[in-house]
Amino acid sequence: MNLHTLGLNHDSAPVEVREKIAFSPSSVPIALSSFAQSFPSSEIVILSTCNRVEIYATSPDDSLDKETLLDFFSAFHGLPKEEFANHMYHHQGINAVRHLFFVASSLNSGVLGETQIISQVKEAYMTATTAETTGSILNQLFQRSLNVAKDVHTKTAIGKGNISVSTVAVDLAIKIFKDFSEKTLFIIGAGEMCELVLKHLVERGAKTAIVANRNYDKAKSLAEEYDGKAINYEKLDEYLPQADIIISSTASPRHVIHTEHVKNAIKARRGNPMLLIDIAFPRDIDPEIAKIDNVYLYDINDLNKVANGNAEERKKDISKCVTIIDKEVAKYMAWTEELKIGPAISQLRNHFHEIGEQELERLRPKLGELAHEEWEHIVYSMQRTLNKILHKPAKVGKEKAKNGGGFQYVETIKHLFGIHHKKDDSKK
Amino acid sequence: MASMFSPIQYVFIAAIVLYLLDSIWEVGSIFNPNRFSKRLADYFILTGLAIHCAFLITLSSQSGTLPISTLFESSTFYLSLIVLLSVILKFLYRLQSLTPFVMPIVTGFSIAAVTLVKNDLALTADLKTFWLFAHIIPIFLGYASFTVSFIFSIMYLTMERQLKKKSFGPLFESLPSLENLDALMWKTITMGFPLLTIGLISGTVWAKTTNILGLDWYLDPKVLLGSLTWLIYAAILHLRLGASFHGTRVAVVTIAGFVIVILTFIGPFLMGHKHGYEKSSATLEQEIIIPDEAGMIKVES
Repeated sequence: MNLHTLGLNHDSAPVEVREKIAFSPSSVPIALSSFAQSFPSSEIVILSTCNRVEIYATSPDDSLDKETLLDFFSAFHGLPKEEFANHMYHHQGINAVRHLFFVASSLNSGVLGETQIISQVKEAYMTATTAETTGSILNQLFQRSLNVAKDVHTKTAIGKGNISVSTVAVDLAIKIFKDFSEKTLFIIGAGEMCELVLKHLVERGAKTAIVANRNYDKAKSLAEEYDGKAINYEKLDEYLPQADIIISSTASPRHVIHTEHVKNAIKARRGNPMLLIDIAFPRDIDPEIAKIDNVYLYDINDLNKVANGNAEERKKDISKCVTIIDKEVAKYMAWTEELKIGPAISQLRNHFHEIGEQELERLRPKLGELAHEEWEHIVYSMQRTLNKILHKPAKVGKEKAKNGGGFQYVETIKHLFGIHHKKDDSKK
Repeated sequence: MASMFSPIQYVFIAAIVLYLLDSIWEVGSIFNPNRFSKRLADYFILTGLAIHCAFLITLSSQSGTLPISTLFESSTFYLSLIVLLSVILKFLYRLQSLTPFVMPIVTGFSIAAVTLVKNDLALTADLKTFWLFAHIIPIFLGYASFTVSFIFSIMYLTMERQLKKKSFGPLFESLPSLENLDALMWKTITMGFPLLTIGLISGTVWAKTTNILGLDWYLDPKVLLGSLTWLIYAAILHLRLGASFHGTRVAVVTIAGFVIVILTFIGPFLMGHKHGYEKSSATLEQEIIIPDEAGMIKVES
């Protein structure tokens, strides 16, 4: 098959090279149409994200190969090939199909199992269809790749369990509290990580936030952003009983929250559970607090452990994903062969009918006077005979295509009946 | 052994087989959701429950009263209510993780009911009275609610342990949040408590008016244990509403309450006491029955 993919990713190339080769969202349509001008009968999709830049292209003839695609990159970006060629990988035919399925299923991603790539692949495909640079081959390929990605994500654990500290913290909160709309979040310190957890919880419906920071202005600006309340850092203990979820990440060298405070708070809360998340190092919250009933304390190590554990779980399912992908690759290849069988069968049919017509022409003068109807009978009989002969090979061909033996079958038929495919000949 | 079962009991055994399959599938689906499909588990439990109900209806139509004429019957009646309540809660609150806890217990109890409970204790009182329904149905529904709340407290403690120990397995994934479990525990207790209260009141009125348990009916072990159950759950309600009594502690006391429920349910039988039941073939324990002999149906109102 004449499908090519040429590109580079986070593994094969440093970020400096990726930057030079990348297509901005606005330049993708331009690149697509300029490619379509150079190779009019070809199909092309460009996938350009911060982690990878790839071209998927196919043409009915042999006008495309690695060199022409490298030339295209070089011409479009105005870069000499030497600057990037060494960082590029090139796949062809079945390997190109497999590569795309791997990419879409996020097996090729920096973060295994991330789902963003699915929408990026979809986006790339949509851009190409808008630019009208896709045809039946790439349409099928990309639609299937998206289905495979979906399948892989639902049937395996590749995307299960959160693998970042902030989302793991949210996962724990979900297992303690019913819904966040009536919960109060208490943010101590205004670091980036605190804000990230806060953001995730607000996305989940949390409405009330209290922020305390040594720097009151910082606290105020974070609180304002999330419709919360900034409080004086010294009054921290007073607000503890209100807090359902406490996220702490100060630069303080000593503990900020002490056992006594939480004991009092839980009493005032009449046993309603509290979740404390300590993302600071050194720790902000006295670890002894974990022993208090209805209080759940997790520090950065705990969160990391969960995140890494989930990442390990994802890795375990890679082989399962590969099995699904390989099955779908085989299905796609069978489809492309089926695509070839159609033209081959019609070629065969034309070939036979040509012979039939020649013979009829030769026969006509020899028969002398003949009623029009009688001649019609003879022509009809000839056509029927040919169609009956052709019925079986056509049927078998379709079956072969489905089971993956289509290509060989087409070749055999061509040899057997001396049908010449001009483009195939020129290749060899 | 098998020949000891009456034909109707085989219907119940069919239900047990389905409950057993369901238990395997429910628990299996937590650890290996791909192999044990939840859909299939749903079919098992619903078919099992349907057969179970058909069994009870057949019993009822034969005896013309509630299926509580023998200890075996009342056990299966009680079990059916637990399954029914769990199924309702499961679909009402989309609780995937309740039945994996309920069904192994129900299956175990069902097997025990079939194999251990000798079917020779039969209710001797006139069972077609209004009072029977007014007494038995609320009590049984109450017991079923308490049983489910017991299961929620087991789930709560399981979850609590995992959160404290920071060990998050597949069970952690499938269980609802602590607050959810706490709410469900509370909901089932507050549902069971009024039912038990109604059942106890109607039972008292019944015993007083018909003298079915004799004159000193209040010394009947079942009456005493029933009152103890009531007190325990009243205490839980009081503590949770009044004092700072949440989550873990409620769960622990709920478990204690359930132990008393089970004791009330089968304890008097094990001690050979009747509470309206007569050992139909018994001759051995005459002395226990003697005090009540005189006043079986003394006053008819």
